[in-house]
Amino acid sequence: MGVIVMRNKLKIYRTIKNLTQEQLGDELNVSRQTIIAIESNKYLPSLPLAFKIANFFEVKIEEIFIINQKEEN
Amino acid sequence: MTIKKYQRLKLMIVFLILAIITISLISKVYLLSFAALVTGILFSSLIRFQDDSSLDEREQSIKEKSANFTYAIFISTLSLGTFLLMFPSVSGLSVFSKGEFLYLESLGVVFAYLTLFLIILYSITYLFLNKKYGGNSDEK
Repeated sequence: MGVIVMRNKLKIYRTIKNLTQEQLGDELNVSRQTIIAIESNKYLPSLPLAFKIANFFEVKIEEIFIINQKEEN
Repeated sequence: MTIKKYQRLKLMIVFLILAIITISLISKVYLLSFAALVTGILFSSLIRFQDDSSLDEREQSIKEKSANFTYAIFISTLSLGTFLLMFPSVSGLSVFSKGEFLYLESLGVVFAYLTLFLIILYSITYLFLNKKYGGNSDEK
């Protein structure tokens, strides 16, 4: 069984919309620290928050959050 | 929990710490009063309570994980203490409670009851939350 690795393109989409981390946090009703943690893949957002992010950027959730499965050695 | 309840909880904890400091000073157990003072300072400076309406999910997750870690470390420490303080020596007395330290065996008994209480408490809250979050459905 492989290891599931999640990564995201949140920083890219945020940059496209020309938003700071704090501004994005305010839009999503989360703290700037949460945005930082999500962008650096240190924190996995909850399903409602992931959908909120996708809806905010008007894209599908799979376009922002990518799931990879790595084979264990 | 609203910010008002958090503030009340914080106040209760501060009063508890102050009570411990007072009692330990009266009993001349200065190490305990110092430890309580340090704990109070750490608690006041490190713990920030927020209103539920603006409670960040990441901070909620951190609080839950902190509680988990605290429980795990606490119960491990208590059970180890129980074992060490009540472990019988050849003479039948516990290894560490000899002579003037006979009271340590009583302390071990208290630790044992606390350990059991924590295990029961965890079991009850697990059962409650398991039912609350729908883990007991008979549907197939």
